[in-house]
Amino acid sequence: MSAPVLLLATSLAGCATPPPKSDTADYQAYKELNDPLEPTNRVFYRVNNTLDTYAMKPVAQGYEAVTTPAIRQHVSDFTSNIGEPARLVNFMLEGKPRDAGTALVRFLLNSTIGIGGIFDPAAALGYPQTNTDFGLTLAIWGLPPGPYLYLPVFGPSGLRDVWSIPVEWLATPMTAAPASTALTDFGYAETGLRLVNLRARMLEPIEQIKATALDPYATFRSLYRQSRASQIKLIDQRDKPTPPDWYPAPSHH
Amino acid sequence: MISRRFTLSALAAAPLTGLMTGLMTGPVLAQATLSAATAKDFVEQSGQKLVGIVNSQAPEAKKADELRGLVNQIVAVDQVGDYVLGRYLHIATPAQHQEFQKLFHKLLAYNITYQIRAYQGVSFSVDGVAPQGQDMVVNTVVTTPGHAPADVGWAVDEVNGKPQIVDVIVAGTSLRITTRNDYASVITGHGGQVSALLTAMKAQIARIDAS
Repeated sequence: MSAPVLLLATSLAGCATPPPKSDTADYQAYKELNDPLEPTNRVFYRVNNTLDTYAMKPVAQGYEAVTTPAIRQHVSDFTSNIGEPARLVNFMLEGKPRDAGTALVRFLLNSTIGIGGIFDPAAALGYPQTNTDFGLTLAIWGLPPGPYLYLPVFGPSGLRDVWSIPVEWLATPMTAAPASTALTDFGYAETGLRLVNLRARMLEPIEQIKATALDPYATFRSLYRQSRASQIKLIDQRDKPTPPDWYPAPSHH
Repeated sequence: MISRRFTLSALAAAPLTGLMTGLMTGPVLAQATLSAATAKDFVEQSGQKLVGIVNSQAPEAKKADELRGLVNQIVAVDQVGDYVLGRYLHIATPAQHQEFQKLFHKLLAYNITYQIRAYQGVSFSVDGVAPQGQDMVVNTVVTTPGHAPADVGWAVDEVNGKPQIVDVIVAGTSLRITTRNDYASVITGHGGQVSALLTAMKAQIARIDAS
């Protein structure tokens, strides 16, 4: 059986068995966990873990060895800048004009003065980086997170958040530009660099979690969910009905 | 991907909070009786002591001992353990509960030792204080050489008449909740048996001892 077929078969078969409803506390805990595909998710967690151990982690360690923290910060700024248009669109969809304005100003400033996003002068000028994605847009529209999903390669997600992946991809500037081989190559290179840079920044924390958690799968699941809930809260907290700094003050005659 | 980056940036601060993995108590105790100023002073003083030990030139074993001593003073470790055990506190037998507490203290000590080297050169500044539930959360910015500054919140509550740390919050993730979920997963994965958690904790201690 080929690997994809095997994975599909596993995913179809891999549902957790809920405890009986008569066992109120256990059943309640199962519902709160909201991970009905846990057996399949754990398979993918192990697959990713193996991929990481033999591919991503060694590459990230090599990358860390030949770069300085400053270089890694510039790479992070650069790849983050490419994600800014997607953030602009998502903030608009969320009805958060202030954050949308910040994302727009950041993209314009960092792409120009910031030399294609390698530098982040916008942050120093009072437009700090904000975070959102299509999963958070759906959350702000009122969609619940849905069951937890652990995706091959992508890692922690959920039935709601998984929609971020195609939407984010469609919203990159590379997709908007006319197709060309050079652009496609740039897209791959950018994605590769982003992932390696990100993994390098995570070397210590991931090691630490794996070393101290009794069940790293459950720990990553918990951290993912809490982090998403916190991001939703942050977006709402920032949503103050005041004009942002860049908005011209009304003139008084 | 943006969200993933943010999630992982939350994890990026985890080494620091690893200092605290297990330092989490629960909202087991009475309503917030601490004033913001008391909580802030307590975190400032405790933080200075912690930074002093981590950055000292003493041998690592001595630092580890000093850190463990300090943690026992500033963190309500027993209450943390009970929170982490969660609803299984009522399922565990008195003997299991006692053993759990013993293992929990030991794992906490190990986790602290694990972090010392990574935090050489650490410094922090207090950002502000805000009530959260019945705790006071003191927000700090923690800076370690070679790492991006991390926003870390220290939840403080009054325990046995004095301020104690009851949780550590990094980028919206609570360490006491994370550990509770971690431990609960071990128990539910073994048919609700608290003994499975004790076995897993012992196995981890044995693994660390062997390394």
